[in-house]
Amino acid sequence: MDIKSRFPIFKKYPDLAYLDNAATTLKPEVVLEKMEQYYREYSANIHRGIYGISEKATEEYEEARLKVAKFIKAAPSEIIFTTGATAGLNLVASGWARAYLEKGDEILVTEMEHHSNLVPWQNLVKEKELILKFIPVNVGFLDLSKLEKLVGDRTRLLAITQVSNVLGTVNPIEEIIKRVHKINPKVVVVVDGAQAVAHGPVDMKDMGADFYAFSGHKMYGPTGIGVLWGKKERLEEMEPVNFGGGMINEVTMQNYTLAEIPFRFEGGTPPIGEAIGLGAAVDFIEKLGWDFIRKQEKEIFDYLVESMPKDVGSSSYSQGTIMLLAVNYVHPHDLAQILDSVGVCVRAGHHCAQPLHQKLGLVASTRISLAVYNDRSDIDKLIEGVKKVKQIFGKKEK
Amino acid sequence: MDNDLYKELILDRYKNPNNYGEIKDAKEAEQANYLCGDKLKIFIKTDKKGKIVQAKFFGGGCAISMAAVDLLLDKVVGKSLDEAKKMEGSEIEEMLGIDLTPARKKCAYLGLEVIKKI
Repeated sequence: MDIKSRFPIFKKYPDLAYLDNAATTLKPEVVLEKMEQYYREYSANIHRGIYGISEKATEEYEEARLKVAKFIKAAPSEIIFTTGATAGLNLVASGWARAYLEKGDEILVTEMEHHSNLVPWQNLVKEKELILKFIPVNVGFLDLSKLEKLVGDRTRLLAITQVSNVLGTVNPIEEIIKRVHKINPKVVVVVDGAQAVAHGPVDMKDMGADFYAFSGHKMYGPTGIGVLWGKKERLEEMEPVNFGGGMINEVTMQNYTLAEIPFRFEGGTPPIGEAIGLGAAVDFIEKLGWDFIRKQEKEIFDYLVESMPKDVGSSSYSQGTIMLLAVNYVHPHDLAQILDSVGVCVRAGHHCAQPLHQKLGLVASTRISLAVYNDRSDIDKLIEGVKKVKQIFGKKEK
Repeated sequence: MDNDLYKELILDRYKNPNNYGEIKDAKEAEQANYLCGDKLKIFIKTDKKGKIVQAKFFGGGCAISMAAVDLLLDKVVGKSLDEAKKMEGSEIEEMLGIDLTPARKKCAYLGLEVIKKI
């Protein structure tokens, strides 16, 4: 199956080796078409429009919610459209945790969190005098040997990523949640699914989480749209943080009543075209099917591992999509720049996970991350680029 | 795409810098390149008239940032600190002899940013 032909960017850059998919994936024609259709043919605002194109927009927006709900095995009323995973995690911090956590309560996170699942909690910890505890990382994986000791009566919230955006590690999320709940069943679990949703099925009924956040643009959808799923009971407890239009039932001079869930959390005009585009991205993934996506990504990842020259430092803790690369002592920026000169896109830097880099003893790293359209020619170009790096920098004494 | 970015001058300065090290009892400042987290520290020693007589840098970084700061420190010796602070990014690109993308300008200009903090 020729997947690249479905992504218009490869018409403009036929030789592009795009290996920065953990940052954002490219967009398929079907997503662009669906969004363009909204903007060209029925770009009215949703809700309350008593005319055809507004009703059509509302219908398509809610259809996207249904698709997302089915995609993660949840109820549509539990799907909140946000602007991305960051916004979803911040909504939980500001709308739920701020109201329910008290001085001295503990939040448990991991050392491999993206800043978006760390900084909102740090901010709340400062504001409410909470305590922040960490599940440590050991050689690429979470060290769960002392997990039970980290959980106690005061543990109120666990914030954890399903897949590390730097290491690619797939955390045994269901096992961790079960073990935490065995010690304290009241711990509310917030999962960052941003790196997970494009690479395998997720099931909100089985996971045991209370909240699950992800972004559209890392799963072949547009930027500016994301999803926060919340368990019904938690959403009933959560307070809105964006007040205004669309999130109320009735407003008087002095007061207001809240709209139903999930609408009360979607104040203001939402990114309508982007939500509809996300619905098309869900269709795209489901049409390819998880069996195909996983087989394809695994095949290319295995090829990547076997093609990498043996004197190049590479590490991978994932079950299939992310690898960190080190060539002699070449700085990640130089490495990425030279790879760019042969048409290979990788990411160099701290990948919004500075604490993890501190733990690993690195300032920055170079990351390769795959998606379903990557093929052997992409890996061949990468290897060619790596050889060029070695040739340019030679053996640097250090 | 510019294959000449890593030309001899830059690689040579990166591998064998003229001005790497520390100076005791000198004016100093430090700043991180927030793209990658690398830290760069610069030491400046001036004479009685305020002219820079010695300048050194300490820290890690990419070839572009290290070569840029090494070339910059050659250039600031003999100037007053105020004159050094008035230098512009374009002068650094001239010294390097290359055109930089916006992201790499942050790397190349880091040395100048640090001097402006002294």
